[in-house]
Amino acid sequence: MGRGTLEKLATIRRGELSAVENVQRALERIGKQNKKINAFIELNPKALAEADAIDRMLKQGEHVGKLAGLTIGVKSNINVEGLRATCASRTLENYVSTYDAEVVKRIRAGGGVIIGMNNMDEFACGSSGETSAFGPTANPAAPGRIPGGSSSGPAAAIAAGFCDLCIGSDTGGSIRNPASHCGVVGVKPTYGLVPRQGLIDLGMSLDQIGPIAHDVSGAALMLETIAGKNPNECVMLNVEKVTYADKLDDGLKGMRIGVSPNFAELTDPALMRVVDGAVEKLRDLGAEIIEVELPNIEKALSAYYLIVSVEFFSATRKFDGRKYGRRIEEVCGEEVLRRILRGKYISQKEYRGKYYQRALQVRTLIKQELMAALQRTDVIVGPTVPKLPHRIGEKISVSAMYAYDYLTIPANLAGICGGVIKAGEVNGIPVGLQVQGKVLGELEMLRVMWALEAAA
Amino acid sequence: MAERQKGIERSAEEIVESFVEATKELPELKETYYSQEAYNIVRSDGEPTPAKERTEFRKRFISNMPGADDHGNLKVEVARWAGER
Repeated sequence: MGRGTLEKLATIRRGELSAVENVQRALERIGKQNKKINAFIELNPKALAEADAIDRMLKQGEHVGKLAGLTIGVKSNINVEGLRATCASRTLENYVSTYDAEVVKRIRAGGGVIIGMNNMDEFACGSSGETSAFGPTANPAAPGRIPGGSSSGPAAAIAAGFCDLCIGSDTGGSIRNPASHCGVVGVKPTYGLVPRQGLIDLGMSLDQIGPIAHDVSGAALMLETIAGKNPNECVMLNVEKVTYADKLDDGLKGMRIGVSPNFAELTDPALMRVVDGAVEKLRDLGAEIIEVELPNIEKALSAYYLIVSVEFFSATRKFDGRKYGRRIEEVCGEEVLRRILRGKYISQKEYRGKYYQRALQVRTLIKQELMAALQRTDVIVGPTVPKLPHRIGEKISVSAMYAYDYLTIPANLAGICGGVIKAGEVNGIPVGLQVQGKVLGELEMLRVMWALEAAA
Repeated sequence: MAERQKGIERSAEEIVESFVEATKELPELKETYYSQEAYNIVRSDGEPTPAKERTEFRKRFISNMPGADDHGNLKVEVARWAGER
């Protein structure tokens, strides 16, 4: 009942399962099934040696961190020294990271064993997991369907049981969307809670690194490990330390949960039925359900794609093929090029006021609406994606692809936190409930997710 | 390449047009650049990286360079890039 990660940690600490055995099992499973799933694009050759070091520390009674002996997958846009940070692109296919990202340093300090780099949509530009230069990722929970994106590899790796925890990045839904399609737990933290140093950015004002896990306690543990102020970061909240995992089972009595009729206007009725069922469960568990209005929520999508294109255009100017990698425009896929060209167009002086600054005004509007709704409530719950995942390889239009992000983008624009937990299935395909919390409202968000998981 | 770029450019502009259409009725508002205005611009210098670590980092970085001369200096195609400006 949502304690699988904690139970595994306890067995490792008691010596019933060694870290080496845990890594061996993960590598065996990956060896057997990754060809089909394509969730990992590189494995860490030092993983067993790193696990052995954890075992020796445990045997000698030395202090080990919260993640001691757990196997961790890392999305390929986060730097892990000695492994390739490719962003699943030909641009960086041979780029070997020269340093550990701040979150990776914290995972290592916590005793987590990084077993490899996960597949993803190229440069995180995608919502389906199909745009990787290393081939598409499969959805272990819904064979034949897309796993979602852009953190397709981390979500599929968890759903396939390849590792205990993963970290991904979320700019407009890239953790929550694949978590929903793959039936796993995913969390996008409040903007500024988790250091971004070492993340190859898509949109610097929107990106956040967050956990993908089998259960809520696993996501909470990973978030505790990676969250907190980094003095070297330019835009970061002044939060020293957070703890969630030991406070998840406080119940929902007195919790005010918001629901919005505007979600149903954008969402497939079959998915809404699953979401409505989850809301009823939360009511039965003691929460007060309050209706909130989010009338401009659908305007967030196009504003987001303008903002992210400008920031992505700026971020990719360093990929000129001179110091490392190849020139991005020469080798990238269609969606990456589309965003670069759009960003270049909008960044021109004559269009800046008309498009970019107007998009930043819409961002203000979305933030104001969400903040007003969250003043009356502790969290807002609703669907994560508006439709079921399409079949891998099926051609859909650009606007249909972007439409997957309708319901996840507002949290990024407002900088609030958002988590996803499986609420049910439609035709055997997982459907995730999105729980959006206040700025630094991760505990309340995780409590709601935990209560739903425990009631399943 | 040029034809591919043209087609992609057109689809890139479509979302810009849909944005203008969707927001024409909205009032003027303040712009939000970052959702939280918690800038840490004046950072303390901290401790300098040890010399050994700096040397190793340089080696690692050079290993990623697409071209280097015998002294480990970066080689680039100056004329090609200069011509594009």
